[in-house]
Amino acid sequence: MDSAVLIVNGRQSRVSIDGHETLLEVLRTQLGLTGAKRGCNQGVCGSCTVLINGLAARACLCLAALAVGKEVVTVEGLERDGKLSPVQQAFVEAGAVQCGFCMPGMVVAATALLSENSAPDDEAIRVALAGNLCRCSGYVKVIDAVRRATTLGQSQ
Amino acid sequence: MPSIEFQRPKTVEEAVALLAGHEDSRCIAGGQTLVAMINAGLVAPKFLISIEEISELRSIENKDDSIRIGAAVTHREVASYVGLLGSNQIIREAAAVIAHPAIRNFGTMGGALAHGDPASDYPTAAVAADGTVEIAGAGVRRTVAASDFFLDYLTTALEPGEMVTALILPRASVGSAGHYLKFSRVDGDYAIVSIGVTLTLSNGVCTRACLAAGGLGSRPLWCAEADAALCDTRCDDPAISRAARHLLDIADPVDDVRASADYRRALLPKLLRRAVRNIVSRQDAERADG
Amino acid sequence: MSARSANVGASLPRLEAAGKINGAAKYTDDLARPFMLHGAILGSPLPHARIVSYEVRRARALPGVEAVITAQDFPYLPLGAIVKDETILAREKVRYVGEPVAAVAAVDRTVALEALKLIEIEYEELPAVLDFDAALSADAPIIHEQLRDYFKIFDCRFNGNVLSEQLVAEGDVDKAFVGCDVIVEGEFVTQAQAHAYLEPCAALAEVDDRNKITIWSSHQSINRVQANVCEALGISMSQVRVITPRVGGGFGGKMEATVQPIAAALALRTKKPVKVVLSREDDFAMMRSRHPARIWMRTGATRDGVLVAREVKLLYDAGAYCDDSPGVLAFGLYMARGPYRIANYRASGKLVYTNKLRASGFRGFGNPQVTFAGEIQIDEIAEKVGLDPFDFRMRNAIRTGDKWVGGQTVTSSGFAECLKQARSRSDWDRRRASPSGAPNGRPRGMGVAALAHICGVLGTSAIIRLAEDGSIILNTGAVDIGQGADTVLAQICAESLRVDVSRVNVVAPDTDATPYNWGTGASRVTYMGGRAVVGAAAAVKDKIFMHAAAMLECGVQDLELSDGGVVRVKGTDKKVSFFEISLRAHYGLGGPIIGEHAFVYDGEPFDPKRCTMIGFPFSNLGVYMFGVQVVEVEVDEDTGQVVPVAAWLAHDVGRAINPLAVEGQIQGGFVQGLGYALWEELIWDNGRLSNPTMMDYKIPGTLDVPLAIEPIIVEEHEASGPFGAKGVGEPGIIAAAPAVANAVAAATGVRFRQLPLTPERVFRGLIRS
Repeated sequence: MDSAVLIVNGRQSRVSIDGHETLLEVLRTQLGLTGAKRGCNQGVCGSCTVLINGLAARACLCLAALAVGKEVVTVEGLERDGKLSPVQQAFVEAGAVQCGFCMPGMVVAATALLSENSAPDDEAIRVALAGNLCRCSGYVKVIDAVRRATTLGQSQ
Repeated sequence: MPSIEFQRPKTVEEAVALLAGHEDSRCIAGGQTLVAMINAGLVAPKFLISIEEISELRSIENKDDSIRIGAAVTHREVASYVGLLGSNQIIREAAAVIAHPAIRNFGTMGGALAHGDPASDYPTAAVAADGTVEIAGAGVRRTVAASDFFLDYLTTALEPGEMVTALILPRASVGSAGHYLKFSRVDGDYAIVSIGVTLTLSNGVCTRACLAAGGLGSRPLWCAEADAALCDTRCDDPAISRAARHLLDIADPVDDVRASADYRRALLPKLLRRAVRNIVSRQDAERADG
Repeated sequence: MSARSANVGASLPRLEAAGKINGAAKYTDDLARPFMLHGAILGSPLPHARIVSYEVRRARALPGVEAVITAQDFPYLPLGAIVKDETILAREKVRYVGEPVAAVAAVDRTVALEALKLIEIEYEELPAVLDFDAALSADAPIIHEQLRDYFKIFDCRFNGNVLSEQLVAEGDVDKAFVGCDVIVEGEFVTQAQAHAYLEPCAALAEVDDRNKITIWSSHQSINRVQANVCEALGISMSQVRVITPRVGGGFGGKMEATVQPIAAALALRTKKPVKVVLSREDDFAMMRSRHPARIWMRTGATRDGVLVAREVKLLYDAGAYCDDSPGVLAFGLYMARGPYRIANYRASGKLVYTNKLRASGFRGFGNPQVTFAGEIQIDEIAEKVGLDPFDFRMRNAIRTGDKWVGGQTVTSSGFAECLKQARSRSDWDRRRASPSGAPNGRPRGMGVAALAHICGVLGTSAIIRLAEDGSIILNTGAVDIGQGADTVLAQICAESLRVDVSRVNVVAPDTDATPYNWGTGASRVTYMGGRAVVGAAAAVKDKIFMHAAAMLECGVQDLELSDGGVVRVKGTDKKVSFFEISLRAHYGLGGPIIGEHAFVYDGEPFDPKRCTMIGFPFSNLGVYMFGVQVVEVEVDEDTGQVVPVAAWLAHDVGRAINPLAVEGQIQGGFVQGLGYALWEELIWDNGRLSNPTMMDYKIPGTLDVPLAIEPIIVEEHEASGPFGAKGVGEPGIIAAAPAVANAVAAATGVRFRQLPLTPERVFRGLIRS
């Protein structure tokens, strides 16, 4: 067990890392950041998606030890002043949220997209979210949500 | 589970020395495959050498006669690198269809090549691009043609203590084009069959071709006869069929959950034709545009 | 019906959506209790074997391990919803690869998994039964030798590996076929589909100072969890409390026991909280699937296209344990006639044990299989008599007031309207007349399929209370698995009492705090739960009015509810608030205001004079819902790949309490149906699953499904429903596969009768034809 400092949601947090622990495990069990979910632990389902240095990343495929020194943003870090980000708000209003298990990963992936492309077309939205599986929505309202977020002219 | 010790060397030489000095050690870059394997309990390395901080591995170098893609360059970076032109376009196309964006953000060239999965995308594309894999071992660098690098399922020409340092692509010749065509069950899946084609057309006649196919055996299919079948032709259907037949002769597909061997064989000529037609019509369009 | 639509008819996002989108929502694996242990489960390596011996001492001795359990640690305590053929852990035999055989609780997951490796179990392998033919053969190995002795809640007519044999019949099918001008006959094969909810099965169990167990789990029914845990452990329901955190999907796979009994047993043993969370691989291999099926069907009509007769023979593969299977088979038999006036009908079926994981309820509950077959045959007959598929369906459509199989009256039907709207919105006639090929030249085709389903079954209840401040406390026990029950029931409650939905406290389902509700399944929560809420609200309103009448010095008949929790004397400004009434009730007279309503589905029962039902487990179910789905596909003839291009989905929902939520259910169900139609299939190799991972079992993603999935809400008031509403949870999935198959036939001229329509299957079919 090694002590290390992770930069998560703009804050430095001390954690103790067992070499094989993934970032997902450390976020969830040591930092109480349970937003990122463990849906498959194989990098396929996308429900563990976080941002690492601004890029969408699978927290389940990142060894915590190798996340040291990088900027990690989880779904909990998207709010500003206790209010949902515009992207988050768009997801709520568009009716994209059903069981919600995929939503943290989905909204982080959408946030990553909009941070580098503030006006994506439908195809670009679908490509950006292609790695986030949802079993409830059929994706239509998820794409609607991202479109809604772009017409609000906001990105995170 | 025993813990893992990490090292972060700054040079290839340091990395190789660490590899040689520790049993049960591996290099890790993006970890998109390695960590999935650790999570699944398939491997349990005790020593991981992160190559993220080795600057020569993180760059794409555009040289006079070649393009050198460092082993730690991510699929995302490759997919957006505008310097991959002509035949080398195939590498961009392959990078763009690997798995999903989050995987592409962190997965690397070196990791993908070293893993040697014939159903993954880079091996077939690298072979069709006539690429060369640069390998570093103790005190020595060597290169292996991509077509000789992939030996079997998850088995490459890497010897113990060696690591991939780059994929080297020949500079694309004038009139050359490259295309990677992937057929899978759903988007982002491993390919059932994938086709890599690079060729050079001169007034509509193929002067050079390199064809590879993935998903039809334990390594990407390639043979000189298939390439020759397209040379000096206008890439018409009979020529493509002849090329396909040569590739089928060396194909050794298996049944798996994605498809049967028979179906893969049936797909090869059709997808090869589609890939070649895609390139030719793209070239025609470019010529028409002047 | 109120003119204002702030509640019923309001497209509110989920009440809990903000917490789901900012990470605050807690699902079972997000919960932790002090000194909590982690559980892990060992699955059987063999599909069929006797358990000869256990050696657990090494596992028990591993530092950090606090309990290791096997069947040897329990007396024989059978459980099972319909036939009690299961025990908490495999006992004496294992019957499928992955069947839980042992479990451990340890300080962390790593130690728990290590401990599993140290458990040694000796097996005597038995020949495995892996498909219908093997199960039904005369000398088949018997999977449940004690089937005769198991407790069964109905007479299931079992024999050998046949768990249940059933028959439903009306009219005279044999005579009717003789009179048909056109008959089509065919055999259809459908696959095992995995639920693949994004949240794997999980449970956290904790024992208190009175040995009462509290369980938080990912489930679809607190009452089913409670019942299963009590049966598995031989304890009373007063000793088990089940609480619902956020649930990440269920689709039928979390209706019955998952890992709750094991978690509870480990907690009892260790006296510490124990959390069991399945890995995705274990979830695929240990839990449940949809029933694979073989369907033989024959349908006959006159040359004018009037349906006369249909005969169906079903084989449903139950896997190793019974679970809800007899209900699934029964429902398939019951729905296989389709939404048509077919006077002569005979459906018989057999439910068969095999050495594979148990098949269970899964959105559609046996209906998708038979609708796949039935709706293809409707198209085949339509083609033979020269009628457009829509015209044919309209000609034979069930209408309001008609009788379903068994004689129940179809009390509301928007089916005809669904046909009309699906046809016009998809521009069916014009597009069929001149099909546009795809820009790439590939053939495209459109297909239609219709469905019928039900939403009323079993029991439910609701309690509504006025808090001291006049706000509303709503206890229903209805689990929200993501489909929006909390929101919809809150809207119904709010509408019934004319308050804002923000004034309704929806209590998380909790067996200590909420009254019985069978569960979230059978598309029943809006209809059944909603009716209970309406009834409880009416009871509360009566009490409120009694107080108000006294306070306002008038008769109750002079009073009306007004917006915002206010009771007013009609036509005047004299009013009193819920707050004032509640204070009076709490402190002055009468006591706290509580209203309740409880009932079991009370629609018309089956008519034994009209219909023969043998071995049928249902005593009553009904309130029919209908739908029509049109799909356009593009077929890549070189590879056989079928690409869905667009869909128009018309659904008869009675009344859309929350149109946004209804659309989401329709779209989500349909996409899950596309998975069933095109990509999803659990594959076994000698009894072991070959693809128990998300890598190898592929559910659709954003680039696999079209954006043009248009839900069309049809509202034909259902008088018995809350504000006229019926359900919509399941219908979205039911017609997707036949609509796709019919579209493929239109595009290619080839009919496929096996699912999924993988590229390989379509490719081979195109070559053969």
